[in-house]
This record gives sequence, structure tokens and C-alpha cells, in this order.
Amino acid sequence: MSNNMAKIADARKTVEQLKLEVNIERMMVSKAAAELMSYCESHAKEDPLVTPVPSSENPFREKKLFCEIL
Amino acid sequence: MSQDPLEGCRISAGKKSAVSLGKALHPPNLLVVVEGTCGACVAASPVSAPEGSCSYNVAHHHLCVCVRVCMAWQGLQKGETLASLKQESENLRRKLEEERGKLTDVELHQVAEKVETVAALSIKTRRVLKGHGNKVLSMDWCKDKRRLVSSSQDGKVIVWDAFTLNKEHGITLPCTWVMACAYAPSGCAVACGGLDNKCSVVPLSLDRNENVTAKKKSVAMHTNYVSGCSFTNSDMQLLTSSGDGTCALWDVESGQLLQSFHGHTADVLSLDLAPSETGNTFVSGGCDMKANVWDMRSGQNIQSFDNHQSDINCVKYYPSGDAFASASDDATCRFYDLRADREVAVYQKDSIIFGASSVDFSLSGRLLFAGYNDYTINVWDVLKGTRVSVLFGHENRVSRVRVSPDGTALCSASWDNTLRVSRT
Repeated sequence: MSNNMAKIADARKTVEQLKLEVNIERMMVSKAAAELMSYCESHAKEDPLVTPVPSSENPFREKKLFCEIL
Repeated sequence: MSQDPLEGCRISAGKKSAVSLGKALHPPNLLVVVEGTCGACVAASPVSAPEGSCSYNVAHHHLCVCVRVCMAWQGLQKGETLASLKQESENLRRKLEEERGKLTDVELHQVAEKVETVAALSIKTRRVLKGHGNKVLSMDWCKDKRRLVSSSQDGKVIVWDAFTLNKEHGITLPCTWVMACAYAPSGCAVACGGLDNKCSVVPLSLDRNENVTAKKKSVAMHTNYVSGCSFTNSDMQLLTSSGDGTCALWDVESGQLLQSFHGHTADVLSLDLAPSETGNTFVSGGCDMKANVWDMRSGQNIQSFDNHQSDINCVKYYPSGDAFASASDDATCRFYDLRADREVAVYQKDSIIFGASSVDFSLSGRLLFAGYNDYTINVWDVLKGTRVSVLFGHENRVSRVRVSPDGTALCSASWDNTLRVSRT
């Protein structure tokens, strides 16, 4: 009996959740895609993996490693 | 629901107090699921009522609880049966598909045709971090862009200086499989958790001689393994995901459960917080093949995506916060736009047949780094949907990939017991 109640409560929960999801405001993919693209483009210069940084400024460049005795 | 269902229940959410729910419920009026840790029991193990038990009496426990009222109902509504509710949810699912379909006027890669191709990426391993005795399961960068924390199956959590390869701290946990670790925003603490079902916070000391393991403090308590953890924008709150199917928000200082997030129907494997400018949401992915977006304040599941065909191992927000990517055992990574409320790209190739375990974006969001179970890291052009590069080097599965906070380097953790830091 209580198993059935649990199933009904679950089903009702699912219905309520789906109602919420169906009713949200959505944007056209063309507009969303355009915004994603413009974000990439406006930040491309600051992205060292997209616009390579000269090796003198890169903290991971090869330099002579020193040993630390702990 | 005309009456306040919790009328008569003395519950101070977030405070330790005796909770008496037995009398306040008129069975079968309420289904209440009570979760939390009992402050009075010596064992301090999580307390949870079996779902469906209306008369669970918790008067003898002192609970720090988030009482979740599942559903208030006065028996069945007119004409409602289990079958009719199932039919209604089927109809709603179809409607959701329809509504999402109406907005697909174009595909992302079509819009991206006019964007310049990204320059060839020549990225190489510059550091190999050796020291773990077993598979490295997770890692996280510190905001100072040079330190990182890693956790392993050997039960150890190590804090490294990635420039000098120095191991700055070593924390030993009493369990194996430390699946989650995170650096605090201040850089003064790390969080870690796994098979011990807990997530602990360890303050890091500047004093080398101090035993940091001794200062470890349990914050989160789940009823199954902890798969992921993240500090929110301060050191004070911790968000965790767990094999028990839930995510939870905790106050670090007191260990109080602030909010719990229910909705996944299987283990939750990953979570990621939205970049701070975009507000209080986070995304989670799990073994139920769903990626859910949550409102941190209300605990509400706002959006859900079920495009993957297998477990979602990792989810990560796009830097602007308007989109996120996921990695799955179905050998694909996918990209979802939150405002269009749909999947907008799938990153896959016939030659890629092994599951993807982890994803992260480059600073501008143009590149997506994805670690796979075939020991490689594929680099995808997020906009065009094509693969830019493949990185080799690891000798076993890649478990985690993370781009450094300044975007100059990529760190990858692997089951070959090492971490690699790569850059151009």
C-alpha cells in the first residue's frame, strides 16, 4: 500500500517537474549561437592556448630547474 | 495544499533541535523524507527515513536537517491514477521536445562557418608530477595559477607547486579512492572526499613541520561515496555530489547541511558551479545519463538534459556561464546552451570508441579539452565541432583535465599514477 503511495508521489513529482521545465523561457539557437561565438571572439586574444604567447612571458617555459633539498 | 504541511512540526532548519514529526502528520497526508546527521548519536551517521513512511518519528534524534516535503496530498485527486500520471508525464516530455525543437532554426556549427579556423595547437608536456602510489583520480588548480592539489586511489592528497615540482603538503586519508578534491578560493585549504562517504576540509599551513592531516575536519556526510566537491565563491561553503544520487551544499564551519538537491535517479558523478558573475546555479551529471541545472538557493532543478546514451562522467560550464559541456561513457562530449535549453553540439568521431572522463574549456571557451579512457586527450573546436588536436603521453586512462586559471597550461591526471602539465 505504501509502495503504491510512494509511486504516485513520485509520478506526481515528475509531472510537476516537467511542467516547470516545459514553461521556461527559451531563446532561438541562432541568437544563442551568435552570442557564444562573440564571447569566443572577444576573449580569443586573452586565451594563451588560442593566441600563443611569446615564450619569454610564459611561466612554464624551459628554464634551468634548480633542486631544493627538503 | 491549503494548509501549511509542516504546521505543528517544530523544526529549525539548520539548527540542532529535537524534531517531532510523528503527531503532526495525518497519515497518509504527507510523504516526508528526512535527511541529515544526528548530533546526539555517537555514530553520527546520516539519518534517513524510508520514502513512503508517513509516521517516521524523529523525536529522539537531534537533527541538522533539511526536511524535504515530497508531496502533500489528500488521497488521490478526482480521476487521477498512477497510469494517468504516467500518461501525463509522457505527454509533457513530448511537449518539451516540441518546444525545444521550435527554436532550432540553425545548428551551431553552421553559424560558426564564418569564424576563422583556430590556429594549430602545438602543446607539449612540460612537467610530469610523480609521487602518487596509485591511480590519480582528481585534481584542481589553485587560484595562484601555480599550485595544484591531486587525490589518488592510494588514499593520499598532495599539494604541488607545478613550477618547481615541489610537493608542499601530503594528506593521508583513512580510505582509498579519494575521488574528489578541490582547492579553496583563498588558497588556504583543500577539500577532499571519496569512499569514506565524507568530504573533509584541510587547512593548509605555511609551517612545513605541521601535520596537516591532523587538522582535517569532516564537513559533508553522504550515504554513499563522494564523487565531486567544489567550494562556492568563498571558503565558507562546500558543494558536494555523491553516489547516493544527491548533491548537497554545506556550511564548512559548522558542518550544517544548507540545501540538498534531489532529482537524479542514480549516482551523481560530477558537478560544476556557474562562473560567479552569472548567479547561483550549478550543473550536475550522473549515471542516470542526465545533466541537471540547479538553483542553489531553492534546491530546485531548473533544467534537465538527457541526450547522452551512457553515464555522464564530467560536466563543466562554458566561461560565460550561458552553456556547459559534458563528457560521457558513450564516447561523446556534448555542448548545451542554457538559454536555448538544448544540446547544440556533439563532439564525436567514429575512431573514438572509449568513454570520455573529463572536460574543460580554454579561457575564451573556444577549445574543449577532453580526457578519454583510451589514454588520450582530444582537443575540440567548440564552435565548429571539429577536432583540433590529440595529446598523447599518459600510459593509462585520463581521469581529469583542468586548464590553469590564467589559461596558459593544461593539467591532466591519470590512472598511470602521474599528472602532466602541458602548454604551448
